[in-house]
Amino acid sequence: MPTIQYGHHQVHYELSGDPGQPVITFLNGLTQNANLWKSYADYFVPRGYRVLAYDMLGQGRSSKPVIDIKLAMHADMLDSLLEQLGIEKTHLASISFGGIIALDFAIRYGHRLHSLTAMSTFAELTPQLDLLGAVMLQGLADAGLPYLQSMLYPMNMSSAWIAANRERIPAMKRAGYIGNDGYAMQNLMESFVEFQPLTPELHKIKVPTLIMNGEFDFFTPRECHEVIRSKVKNSRLLIMQHAYHAFTLEMPAVTMRQLEVFLDQVTAGTWQGDQSVWIASDDPAAETQWLPCAGDWMRAVHIGTATPASTPARRKSPTRKKTT
Amino acid sequence: MIDPALYDLARDRIAANGFTPEIQTKITLLLCTAKNGNLMFHSSVQWMQNLNVVQQFILSQYSRELEAVTLLSRTTQWSKDPALALEGSRIVAPLMMAWGQIMLPPGPMLNPQATYRGISLGHAQLARIRLTPVIPDNADPLNPFVVALQRIEQENGRMLQTQIRLLKNIGTEIPIEEREALVEQDQELVDSVFSQFLSWLAAG
Repeated sequence: MPTIQYGHHQVHYELSGDPGQPVITFLNGLTQNANLWKSYADYFVPRGYRVLAYDMLGQGRSSKPVIDIKLAMHADMLDSLLEQLGIEKTHLASISFGGIIALDFAIRYGHRLHSLTAMSTFAELTPQLDLLGAVMLQGLADAGLPYLQSMLYPMNMSSAWIAANRERIPAMKRAGYIGNDGYAMQNLMESFVEFQPLTPELHKIKVPTLIMNGEFDFFTPRECHEVIRSKVKNSRLLIMQHAYHAFTLEMPAVTMRQLEVFLDQVTAGTWQGDQSVWIASDDPAAETQWLPCAGDWMRAVHIGTATPASTPARRKSPTRKKTT
Repeated sequence: MIDPALYDLARDRIAANGFTPEIQTKITLLLCTAKNGNLMFHSSVQWMQNLNVVQQFILSQYSRELEAVTLLSRTTQWSKDPALALEGSRIVAPLMMAWGQIMLPPGPMLNPQATYRGISLGHAQLARIRLTPVIPDNADPLNPFVVALQRIEQENGRMLQTQIRLLKNIGTEIPIEEREALVEQDQELVDSVFSQFLSWLAAG
């Protein structure tokens, strides 16, 4: 099991691909671990990349401190990990909790990055996120890890995914319960007590930055990503159609394709960080992957001009079977 | 980290044979040893000076550990095989020794290092000894032993909050690196005992 030493902590990592190739480093969400990026490694390694994933402190097979982890420590640890692996620069792709670490890393260690991808994340705690975080922490402390797991499925995934995987969910929860430790997760969440908004520092991010947000992500909604888009000049916001918070897990093929498009642009020097807003194709095989977003991307409805003759759009409801 | 495969093997064994008296006895031997150690520690520190509000948490944890031991002991269908007790004692011996060291004179009440160690070992036990993943899907959810295991585990998660708060905030002169190392060392100790225990459970 490959590990590095960081202070008195052990950090478990997985690195695949040939030395000398450009590296993509993936940063996990709160309850994730390095294994969840394996399909991404399988996709990107044959395309000429090395893929690095690791368990952050408090996750998976890395050390799980009880007493203290400062939020800033995660970015410092990533710097140490890259140093110890002899990786000078990397593309950095991150989701949710990992996204905050990635933003912090890009602000303080931008010289180590080729590019940044921030998915389903935030630079500051909106009042809504602040309360959600408090509820999650309370649930974890009062009712335990199984409660938090049960809470996160509907917050992360679509109804369609839940319906299709309902029978597998108990086994997935069991595996998550074995692999995670409630106290370590609590420690990660409590590191937000001293969290200072990254927003005032976002202008320091100079590398090409792709911000990805699920169309229906109500956990970290559009406003969280809009803050990042508006402050990082060399950025674009890409909205993932039909996606919820954990689209890296729910629609990996679409996500990998979007990452590939972005990395190709960065590598070819054709990337244009103009703070524009785009919509990702939901077909990885489509010729055109990014479609310009027309209208107000902050709104969920599109308001037409009212005329006396205009009528609301109607759509047939799905047919419902009668039950007897 | 405990190898996830060990949980699967133990669960499969129980799925095949059910919660036999042998399986129940093994589980109760482990849990009661762990909880009796934590109980003994809490009974010793509950009258420490200047505990203030913490005293209530300590007394509460003492009572809940006592409840758990009682609940398990009366719901367990005990095996009559004395060899189980012998092998069980061998597996849990490192835990008994660790609690014994903590309780050595002058005792945790007068020895800050032992106090911290007791909190740390209690944390490792409550956090790492988790038995609900070995309950198979086909287990009767109303089986009193199964119900007891589930309730105890949920309660462990709540009790753990006392250890978390104390490990983070207790006034101590022990440097943070040393404290973290101590906590990690106790986790490794508990992981080692619990891994052996899961193998024993799977062996039938």
